[in-house]
Amino acid sequence: MAKKITRRKFLRDTVIGGIVLGSGLGGYRITYGQTKKPAGPIKIGGQGAISGAHADYGWQMMAGATLAIEEINAKGGILKRKLELKFMDEELKPATAVKNARYLVTDWGADFLFGIDSSGSAMAVGPVLPELDRLCFFCHAATHRLTEELVAGKGIKQVFRMVAPVYQDALAAWVFKDSPEIKRWAGINCDYEYGYVAWNLFKENIKKFRPDVEFVAAAWAPFWTMDFSSHISAVMAEKPDAIFATPWAGEGVMLLRQALMLGVFEKIQAWWQCMGGSVDLLEGISREVAADKFKGKLWATARYIHNYPDTPENKAFVSAFRKRWGKFPNYSAEASYSTIYAIKAGAEKAKTLETSKVAEALEGMELKTPAGTRLIRKEDHQAIYTVPGGKVTHSPDYPIPVLGDLKIIPAKEYFRHPPFTPVAATK
Amino acid sequence: MGNMLEKLLFQTLIGLSFSMYLWLLAAGLTLVFGVLGVLNFAHGSLFMLGAYATFTFYGKIGLNFWLSIFLSLLCVGGIGLILECLFFRRIYHIDLPYQLILTFGFILIFDDLVKIVWGGVAMIPPMPRFFEGSLNILGRPFPYYNIFIIFAGIFVALLLWFVLEKTWWGRTIRASASDREMASAIGINIPILFTNVFVFAAMLAALGGALGTPVRVVAPGIGTSMIIQAFVITVIGGLGNLKGAFVGALIVGILTSYGILLFPIFELFIIFVVMAFVLLVKPEGLFGK
Repeated sequence: MAKKITRRKFLRDTVIGGIVLGSGLGGYRITYGQTKKPAGPIKIGGQGAISGAHADYGWQMMAGATLAIEEINAKGGILKRKLELKFMDEELKPATAVKNARYLVTDWGADFLFGIDSSGSAMAVGPVLPELDRLCFFCHAATHRLTEELVAGKGIKQVFRMVAPVYQDALAAWVFKDSPEIKRWAGINCDYEYGYVAWNLFKENIKKFRPDVEFVAAAWAPFWTMDFSSHISAVMAEKPDAIFATPWAGEGVMLLRQALMLGVFEKIQAWWQCMGGSVDLLEGISREVAADKFKGKLWATARYIHNYPDTPENKAFVSAFRKRWGKFPNYSAEASYSTIYAIKAGAEKAKTLETSKVAEALEGMELKTPAGTRLIRKEDHQAIYTVPGGKVTHSPDYPIPVLGDLKIIPAKEYFRHPPFTPVAATK
Repeated sequence: MGNMLEKLLFQTLIGLSFSMYLWLLAAGLTLVFGVLGVLNFAHGSLFMLGAYATFTFYGKIGLNFWLSIFLSLLCVGGIGLILECLFFRRIYHIDLPYQLILTFGFILIFDDLVKIVWGGVAMIPPMPRFFEGSLNILGRPFPYYNIFIIFAGIFVALLLWFVLEKTWWGRTIRASASDREMASAIGINIPILFTNVFVFAAMLAALGGALGTPVRVVAPGIGTSMIIQAFVITVIGGLGNLKGAFVGALIVGILTSYGILLFPIFELFIIFVVMAFVLLVKPEGLFGK
């Protein structure tokens, strides 16, 4: 049955629509026209993966941002305005992420955007930001292209990345450069851009320090690989000294457990699990770590780890987060928490919410955040801060494994710098 | 050269154990198509439910591993019973596109249901103690669990062969698969038989999911991720043919494993190339009629 639109209904709807639209525009004018009179809340629109196997990452973003907003609101907000959060599911789909960004800005009236887990989604959202005239702070998407190509290359000033990009994964080159006994490297990597770039960056960097290393095998695992045993056995056939692996979240847990079953840790000297310092992954292998199954050979990093740095800011953040949510904060939580404080710092320095002025205020700014001092680099809007690599260890102080024996290399050494040379994003 | 041979042999064994999960999934898929004439996209969801049920009984409640598998087979069999009686029964006689819409709908429903009940985060229960350790094959450790999976898969294949070829129930299944009207005319109760076959297929899928739990992740979508490979297998082996599904699973599992070793750059294409080749040369599949 098709609904019939009568003339009366049409008129009524038009009038209502006009009133709603008119009042909406009026509200808009008040916000930006009269700076003296405090208007409604500052709206912060976030999105991340909050469904599917990677759901914990999006949840962590929401949790981190919520905590910061609660803290800031308790102290009076930003520019005397309270903050309001809306968080949406990006489903790791670029089209959904763009739709969400448009909805958040044009319908809901977001003043700032943040979040986004998938690199594909990030690369799709970046180019629409100038048109939406909003800043977006990326809190997990790691592709180097977001900041190198979109900001430094194309000059999209609305993109800021608060989280360490894929440079972090290549930290292995610095961690293992002084281990002369490790010569033969093999890779088990994600069969998509992230895996290609991480592996290529690692190879490029370790070759600089150690021309003698060899890359003896590489196996590629697409999204949704359930069974890594073929990959593991294929690279183990080449008798590597060490393995570099990118699968993350549940897939990383599975890879490590299957590697244990295949006796890999009896034969190799080291395993670098790039994002193995992620809280969900550490939780997934806690039984094995407690039983010392990895024999102290499992190394990892993350885009932030809750036990570094040893500063009052970090301790306060971790304990507030645990108190609020009963969990340890992961890197997407810390990046989102710091994002809200970056918005505060930028808006307060610019004394306005105007996109271009806040962007300008943030460029070159140094922020004290839980992860340490973040420098927002002017050229590419990448936040620069140090995250160490470490050995996955069981500690009596924590209910889940942590990274210990930390190798601290300053971010300036292992981050890439402008002007950027292209990185091969292929196998 | 001897070294290469050893690598290939070990990779064959790894591929063989991978094949067995594929076989358990493909067996039910092809059985339902062969007998009921329905291409059940939601078959992968039953695989996933089997994994979740086992995870709950074994990993959460802490029951015995075998008992957990048995209980999860009963649960998923029960779900299969409900699905068949309330929904699938109504689509046997209608066009394939409608069947696809219904079964695809169930994929979405089950994925969301699982998220509501267990949450979206991936979970892995511990490995049963008695399966820890490995056998030394060609100087490399081969897990006991993989050996167990290979035997379990072969056992299910033999069991299916025995049931279908040697028992009265199997004969009625074969009879109604080849001519539904005639079978009905000689007194076989087709609706009940169809229900039984569907439930049996659901339990096979659940067994595949259940056996994977100690070594694989339990997460929404694990069934869908394997169903594509299961379809490739049934196409290679011949839709509706169990022997074909077994051989197809071996081909797909072992070739994937070889591909990862020998052609890592384009390993993902290999099974599709094989499928395309089979479709060109023998469109009805290797064992199809």
